[in-house]
Amino acid sequence: MALHLNLLHEEILQQRQRQRDPLKIGVMVLGALGALMLVYYLWNAYKVLEIRNRLGQVQHDWAKVEPKVTAAQKRSAELNSIISTTKVLDGMIDGRFFWAPFLEKLSRCVALNAQLTSIDGSVLDDGRISIVIEGLAAGREPRAAAEELRQLLLEQLGQSYAEVKVEFKSLEDLDTIVNIGGSNMAMARFGLNVTFATAAAKPSPTPGPRTKVREPK
Amino acid sequence: MKIQVKLSKDQIKKLMLSAMGFVVLVYVYFSFFLGPLNTSRDTMLAQIDELQNKVASSKSELTKTSNLEKQADASTKRFAALKALSPEGAPIAWFPPRMKAFFANQEIDKTTARLETSVAFKETDLANWMRYNWLLELPQADFSTLGKAVASLENSEPLLSIMRISIKALPEDPQFQQITLSASTAMVKR
Repeated sequence: MALHLNLLHEEILQQRQRQRDPLKIGVMVLGALGALMLVYYLWNAYKVLEIRNRLGQVQHDWAKVEPKVTAAQKRSAELNSIISTTKVLDGMIDGRFFWAPFLEKLSRCVALNAQLTSIDGSVLDDGRISIVIEGLAAGREPRAAAEELRQLLLEQLGQSYAEVKVEFKSLEDLDTIVNIGGSNMAMARFGLNVTFATAAAKPSPTPGPRTKVREPK
Repeated sequence: MKIQVKLSKDQIKKLMLSAMGFVVLVYVYFSFFLGPLNTSRDTMLAQIDELQNKVASSKSELTKTSNLEKQADASTKRFAALKALSPEGAPIAWFPPRMKAFFANQEIDKTTARLETSVAFKETDLANWMRYNWLLELPQADFSTLGKAVASLENSEPLLSIMRISIKALPEDPQFQQITLSASTAMVKR
């Protein structure tokens, strides 16, 4: 067996140590890692550029649509306001009390032997109508003539209005005698309080009894 | 088998230096490169999402407005007609002459109209409207003429409602009556 003598063992050891230098290895590892990271960064940057392009496109689309949408929203608000205002105004119009039909009914109730001297009517806050009628009635029984007017008024108004009340506020005989159709007649002065509810002021009908629910077989 | 690596002091120092280099590299990479890039990407994605939602909702908004326009056609016409009942200018300037002319056409002369009060409506929908309360005085009219005039007034002025009516027979001529009407009208604010 041949004998080998290593006379350069120190130099060889130094060379091995240089090759295994941790700093050198670390720099190499860091360099490789840095390169990988750079590639990953560039890949991400490319994707971000794509997203930026997409954002530009969407912003362009929105810029085209935005004025239309703003105008539409404004118009929509305006239309809603018009609809609700018209609804409220229509409610006011429908809720009015029409005096002309009442005056017509009243004129039909006044007989030849009665005369109205004053009518004061007003629409109350709750929508009810209150009227004070003053007048004169003549006849053999002037009080009966006034009562006849009251009854007729009650009947006529009851056909069109709800909760009609016609009550005497005052009824007094007068000393004055009038000549109607050639005959002398006594007179009475009367005052009537008339109240009634219009259709708008009518309470809503109460619901009927609940019908029995049919049980399933 | 256990491998024992013996490191010299110098090697340990170099190893530590490499480890520090690694930490710095990672920190710089995430803090100054990848981090801001990701933040920017997330912001842009959120913006895209928001804008796409807006564009999608805008389409439904436009459709809704178009449908509303069709539905509101009758209301728009009616609103325009009601608005046209209030001419330009202060109501005190045009309403009394209008009433005078109206009752003159109904054969009731010398009508006067006075403004009593004007108040804003409580309803928010009527923010652009005002309630005017007028006192109409008709010095002389017979009952049937008055009845016809009131009927005509109530039909031709939908926004006018008579709140109070007072009819008094004239003592010297009972055939005729003196009439006072309290009327309330809704008019557009000018």
